[in-house]
Amino acid sequence: MYHFVSMKIPISRQDQQPVYVLHTYPYLETSLVVELFTRNFGRVATIAKGARRPRSAMRGMLQSFQPLVATWSGKSELRTLHEIEWQGGLHVLKGQALICGFYLNELMLRLLPREDPHEALFEHYQQALQALTGEEAQSIVLRRYEIRLLQELGYALSLTQEAGSGDDIDAGALYSFVPEYGAVKASPQSANGSASNGSGLQNKSGIQLRGKTLLDMAQDDYTDTQTLQQSKQLMRTLINHHLGDKPLHTRQLLIDLQQL
Amino acid sequence: MQTPTALEHLIEALRCLPGVGPKSAQRMAYHLLQRDRKGAESLALGLHNALEKIHHCQQCNNFSETETCPLCASGKRDPQLLCVVEMPTDLLMLEQTQTYTGMYFVLMGRLSPLDGVGPKEINLDRLLKRAQDGEVQEVILATNYTVEGEATAHYVGELLKARGLKVSRIARGLPMGGEIEHVDVGTLAQAMLERNAMR
Repeated sequence: MYHFVSMKIPISRQDQQPVYVLHTYPYLETSLVVELFTRNFGRVATIAKGARRPRSAMRGMLQSFQPLVATWSGKSELRTLHEIEWQGGLHVLKGQALICGFYLNELMLRLLPREDPHEALFEHYQQALQALTGEEAQSIVLRRYEIRLLQELGYALSLTQEAGSGDDIDAGALYSFVPEYGAVKASPQSANGSASNGSGLQNKSGIQLRGKTLLDMAQDDYTDTQTLQQSKQLMRTLINHHLGDKPLHTRQLLIDLQQL
Repeated sequence: MQTPTALEHLIEALRCLPGVGPKSAQRMAYHLLQRDRKGAESLALGLHNALEKIHHCQQCNNFSETETCPLCASGKRDPQLLCVVEMPTDLLMLEQTQTYTGMYFVLMGRLSPLDGVGPKEINLDRLLKRAQDGEVQEVILATNYTVEGEATAHYVGELLKARGLKVSRIARGLPMGGEIEHVDVGTLAQAMLERNAMR
């Protein structure tokens, strides 16, 4: 015997939401799966029916890095994309900046769970795209976004306090940054570069860097070239840690291109 | 009822076609065997022949039955111009314009970082060799104006410029007979940003 529970499922239509397209891939004969990054709902996967037909109105619109407004509905994991419109404003990413954009998108696809709203991250993403079209060094834009992404996702990433003790970071001291834990003061032996006698596992598994690097990163100040270098190393290690075994395609692409 | 193994095999084989799932594959197999055995035979023969005869042209990488495709071998094309396109269909479209008289190189794809399509998959090493044959003076990049096509154009362009070649990119903007009122905003925005001086 069946009872029909009259539970009204809310109509899950979302109108005119600010979005970016992270990625699209073909689906069936004429459709596309469109991975959207939305301001209010986080990452949402939608299907754009008929978007691969030659005269589809959506076809030209579904490009990454452009501010768009989208309307979708549905309850399943793949929503139906009804409408997508230009929001105005334009980020023209060219050349290397374009690859940086792909890198941001790949990070989002790999690290951001679906349907998990991150409004602040949306703003950061927008700012990063804007900055990539500008004068600022791309590496700085990427570092800034990586930090904000990990912080938004809730991975421990305190740049101003020592993990455990909670002491303020000392600009003059050397630290070891351990993924999912934080910065701990490096023992004097390892700081001198001489063989450490195994004083604490954390020193071994962490990234060695200056207190100043951490404080600079917290201040968003990358004028010191050593800060730029060490922050790159730190963020790469942390991101690899969260990504797991599968490497990033964008990184591999750059390596392959360099070999030509 | 047990499905015969040859039929099962056929259904499985048909599923390699894009957009064909188990149901469509089954329908196609039954149709071919029951209603159109002649068509099935010519399909089998066609596939077999094509696989046997069609290779990539050693010059332009397009599909060809001969080692060098008729277009490359014609001797009527300008060897100083090399136009890079993503797919053979793009080449056909450009030929229809009857405005281009140079040679081609077909990448058979585009760089697509998020799908793991890199320089190896689109034969960039062969393109670099082709462009440096000593005769090519200008390389025209006619990849799509999608983000992937743009990334491809950028990297191919950089690699060729570093080797001392003149590189250009096909223009974009309003379509023929395009009315500003009805054109999509993205195209119009690009057209404004990339406006030309009146000559």
